[in-house]
Amino acid sequence: MNDPFMNLKSSMKKTVFKDLSFSNERKKAVQEAIRTNQQSQIHNWNIETIIAILESVQHESKDGYNISIQLFQKNERTFQENEGQLYTLLHLLENKEILTSNWINNKKYYSLDSKGKKYLATYKQDTSKQKLSLKHLIQEASL
Amino acid sequence: MNELNQLAVTDEMMLDEKEQIIDQLMDEYSDDILHLVYTYVKNQATAEDLTQEIFIKCYEKLHQFNEQATIKTWLYRIASNHCKDYLRSWYYRKIMLSNKILDYIPSKSKQVEEEVITNSEENRLTNAVMNLPLKYREVVFLHYYEEMSLREISKITTVNINTIKTRLNRAKELLKDKIVEED
Repeated sequence: MNDPFMNLKSSMKKTVFKDLSFSNERKKAVQEAIRTNQQSQIHNWNIETIIAILESVQHESKDGYNISIQLFQKNERTFQENEGQLYTLLHLLENKEILTSNWINNKKYYSLDSKGKKYLATYKQDTSKQKLSLKHLIQEASL
Repeated sequence: MNELNQLAVTDEMMLDEKEQIIDQLMDEYSDDILHLVYTYVKNQATAEDLTQEIFIKCYEKLHQFNEQATIKTWLYRIASNHCKDYLRSWYYRKIMLSNKILDYIPSKSKQVEEEVITNSEENRLTNAVMNLPLKYREVVFLHYYEEMSLREISKITTVNINTIKTRLNRAKELLKDKIVEED
């Protein structure tokens, strides 16, 4: 007996699947979701980037714009042409109580919170050794 | 594609590498996955939403991929499970099914008429397969449309090979009955 499903592939291609294709908009939506997901997790950020931010506010509180300028001077280019991401990270650090903030004249000024001070001190003690343990500290904080 | 198959997925993998793998998977398989999902859920918008979720899920689970299976098999397995979860979900059972019932109310039967008009041989076969119960439809699609071996299908569905053979035979009988009925 002939296999009744023999022509299934060509039949479906000509009928239900004729105009059924995963569009570029849909692909972009996937990429977008992946990126948002990455940024919401602190261990997906570079330790050096985080330290550079902590250092920039250790002596005085700064707003986002001034933090970005300081990072630029330090040659930290993560946020170059990508300013928005800096604010995502600042927000995240604030949620983890690594940074704290104050509103002054409609601007949000960031400074170190107690956890942030601790991390920065630990990091400076012994840079080579502490990189790892700092990573752990931060991962703990992100749990 | 070889590049993608040989790829070692590790915990320490860089984020943009993982992103690239998902991009490659989408370029290579997104239409196939969409078609697979459609055969499960029979609705275009839902199929597109679920396919989107499936690729996001793959990204999240990429570190769990071990090279005992090919990445294609792994991807299909995630897709198949995701669809079955959806069909079992509260949302589907309460909301989508009651919407579906509305479609069968006579005043809405216009679409059905159009279907009858374009009832070519291709349409008849496709509709017959789409109306098979899920456990038959699934294996028929994977075997005849995706042209997968029984072994591959067994890995994706976690159903043993003999059961798959039985289901394929039973599906043929069901189809024959249906065609006889129509004639």
